[in-house]
Amino acid sequence: MAATIQSVKARQIFDSRGNPTVEVDVFCSDGTFARAAVPSGASTGVYEALELRDGGSDYLGKGVSKAVNNVNSVIGPALIGKDPTAQTEIDNFMVQQLDGTKNEWGWCKQKLGANAILAVSLAVCKAGASIKRIPLYQHIANLAGNKQLVLPVPAFNVINGGSHAGNKLAMQEFMILPTGAASFKEAMKMGVEVYHHLKSVIKKKYGQDATNVGDEGGFAPNIQENKEGLELLKTAIEKAGYTGKVVIGMDVAASEFYSDKDQTYDLNFKEENNDGSQKISGDSLKNVYKSFVSEYPIVSIEDPFDQDDWVHYAKMTEEIGEQVQIVGDDLLVTNPTRVAKAIKEKSCNALLLKVNQIGSVTESIEAVKMSKRAGWGVMTSHRSGETEDTFIADLAVGLSTGQIKTGAPCRSERLAKYNQLLRIEEELGAIAVYAGAKFRAPVEPY
Amino acid sequence: MSVQEYLEKHLLSRKIEEAVNAAVRAKAPDPVLFIAGHMRRAAPAVITRVRARQILDGHGAPAVEVELHTNKAIHRASAAGSGALEGAAADAAGAAERRKILAKVVADSVRMINDKVSEALVGMDPQEQSQIDQAIMDLNKARHKAELGVGANAMLAVSIAACKAGAAEKEVPLYKHIANLVGKSATTLPVPAITVINGGKHAGNGLPIQEIMILPIGAKNFEEAMQMGSETYHHLKDVILEKYGSDSCNIGDHGGFAPNISSISEGLDLVIAAIERAGYNGRIKLAIDVAATDFCTGKKYDLEFKSTKKSGQNFKTADDMIEIYSQLCSEYPLVSIEQPFDKDDWEHSKKLTTLELCQVAGDDLLMSDPERIKRAVNEYTCNALVLKANQVGTVTEAIEVVKQAKDAHWGVMVSHRSGDTEDSFIADLAVGASAGQIKAGAPCRGECLTNYNQLLRIEGELGSEGVYAGENWRTVNTS
Repeated sequence: MAATIQSVKARQIFDSRGNPTVEVDVFCSDGTFARAAVPSGASTGVYEALELRDGGSDYLGKGVSKAVNNVNSVIGPALIGKDPTAQTEIDNFMVQQLDGTKNEWGWCKQKLGANAILAVSLAVCKAGASIKRIPLYQHIANLAGNKQLVLPVPAFNVINGGSHAGNKLAMQEFMILPTGAASFKEAMKMGVEVYHHLKSVIKKKYGQDATNVGDEGGFAPNIQENKEGLELLKTAIEKAGYTGKVVIGMDVAASEFYSDKDQTYDLNFKEENNDGSQKISGDSLKNVYKSFVSEYPIVSIEDPFDQDDWVHYAKMTEEIGEQVQIVGDDLLVTNPTRVAKAIKEKSCNALLLKVNQIGSVTESIEAVKMSKRAGWGVMTSHRSGETEDTFIADLAVGLSTGQIKTGAPCRSERLAKYNQLLRIEEELGAIAVYAGAKFRAPVEPY
Repeated sequence: MSVQEYLEKHLLSRKIEEAVNAAVRAKAPDPVLFIAGHMRRAAPAVITRVRARQILDGHGAPAVEVELHTNKAIHRASAAGSGALEGAAADAAGAAERRKILAKVVADSVRMINDKVSEALVGMDPQEQSQIDQAIMDLNKARHKAELGVGANAMLAVSIAACKAGAAEKEVPLYKHIANLVGKSATTLPVPAITVINGGKHAGNGLPIQEIMILPIGAKNFEEAMQMGSETYHHLKDVILEKYGSDSCNIGDHGGFAPNISSISEGLDLVIAAIERAGYNGRIKLAIDVAATDFCTGKKYDLEFKSTKKSGQNFKTADDMIEIYSQLCSEYPLVSIEQPFDKDDWEHSKKLTTLELCQVAGDDLLMSDPERIKRAVNEYTCNALVLKANQVGTVTEAIEVVKQAKDAHWGVMVSHRSGDTEDSFIADLAVGASAGQIKAGAPCRGECLTNYNQLLRIEGELGSEGVYAGENWRTVNTS
């Protein structure tokens, strides 16, 4: 007799920014217990699945007691007796029947909340792996039909700007990617060393103040210009001795400084008494990126334009997409319908995989498969509000995304994922394969 | 061995019959699963292997993670890395040199655990915590004699993993297992001392003291304490943003803010403003961790040790400091001062404690060392212990010093370390030992929240049995 779900219980806990989030425990008839907690973003795209918050004054409006109640009163009772290894059936049941809300882009999870549904989906996935007595990453690989596991290249977020940091830097993140490492373990060594060299460089140039960290563990020195961030990275990589082995990625989050009214991008949007002198067109912004790419070893640019600026995305991808990965985050929000549109219009060539943007494991896997079949890269990603849950580490290996972005080597909610990848690589032993320079297409589509 | 001999040797027929009978009595809906569980419980757990690896702590520094294998399950624990480097030699080293030393210490510890520790513990019953810890202590002594370097943190990870294995074998939550090891059945949810402002050696501002904390003593339970704490933290961010600009909203090592302030009063005023905005006047008290050892020169305390333009007005004597602390205690709801003097200044710590203005918690002064605690108790040097488990070395030793402090009617504040990982053992320790107080950083950074989240789970699990320390935060469970 197969094990079945005996009970599902949710509670409110805190994420890494001290905001409430949903945690779910799943208990099965064979004694299996699984727990998962969901992340949340600070710069959310408008097309993301709905994250249900209580509003009001408690927890400054960010409480999740309604979402918790939806798990305990609606989802939990409905899942009792179901087989947790049947991930697709359970996810579809929750998304399409228990919630059932839909918009032009697909299932939007407006009734129960994506945070409620996802927490259960993740916990069920973990329970399924336990029941099958296989590692979570293997279970995910099986669900996806992926036959070849790969350790991802980490994209360490080491400099913060945008809405994640208090400086004037418009662009949200600058990342370092150790594509030249021989293993994930070595990639971690490289990343940690560059990070600490960067800390020294920043301390010397901007003072000790500037070595405090942002939401994802990156530094937020008071730099005035985006290019200055790239120079800091270049210096740190050189000092660590990894020139050519560690390259650079950017997450611009351009939606944050786009003005729909006059269709311009304001690189000075964080200045209070802003005179608008740094507003530029989409074409000009594209040229800024191209000049960066010609001057620095940049291999990835995420969210270079507004989430509805499909035209400039397509232009950018056409012009430098071969050389540079153009990653869609807000553009795609891990939504299969939007991914399909972007594939058709050649708007970008990589998916940023954030499970809470779409709200279930099954839909996340679908978005990844579509992307891989289109020859795209896939970067598994954290959110700025994380917990110690390490699901996305197993997800990155199970789906062989080839890349994972889960912050700086600082703050344990970030390190928890990197530590899990160290364990997975050790567990895989001789068969472990690190994505390295092939991070954009580490395996054949599955 | 024949089939019959095998069956008889292991009493298999009888055991299986007992399991079947139990399933029938219970009318288990799934008898096969029930029987499997029953048989599993009938076999005593035994340690089969201890394996270590290097992971990274909350600062991206090497730390040791241990997996203790029994014949039934694997139990994992990790302990802070950088605490291993305390001492004059480490203090003198630069940042890069410290990282090299730490990497070597961790690598050595990993090898020792995989080799000698595993060999020593294999075959032991994980429920016998004191025996396991004694074996660890013996190895540690031999290690020190051989000058193989410090390894207290690594040994602690082994001890914690064994403690988790013991709890699992007894089928009780970790905090209840710890309570049993302490010898009391009562458990208490601690008052959190939540870091909100960072200063001192590691922050870029001019604030000489290391931390300002808030204690939601007036909350009715731990959940409300965290609500009060997190709301106040977010309001503080707004206060700082308005007053100092967005640069000041990044966070330090323990998740606190480090606004550009240079005096203690200035910091306390910011916190009071945040508490008022959150609407928790009177229900939240304040605490400071001075870490005075860091700015003591000779017998003077340099309140401007971080400034490049010293006014010369802030070189204080220890008696001046007592005056300052007295003033702060009368002007603010300041209820706890940690490490107010240099770690060797027993005299003035005693003077301050004698005034009975607030809790005086010993950190560097005591280093969770039984001999130093004994002396401090006898000399009335302080009236609370800051318990950092990795200063003691094993779970058993940590429990002993808690008992020692409680017997003396001291407060006990279980504390995290700079460079923690995502392991939440100290949350269970604080509850199981009825410490009454826990200091785990800000409601920010995963290594801090992991402990607060675990306390929320424990309180939820205890239900109506859960008791929040609240107003009794200093006196919980003293004998």
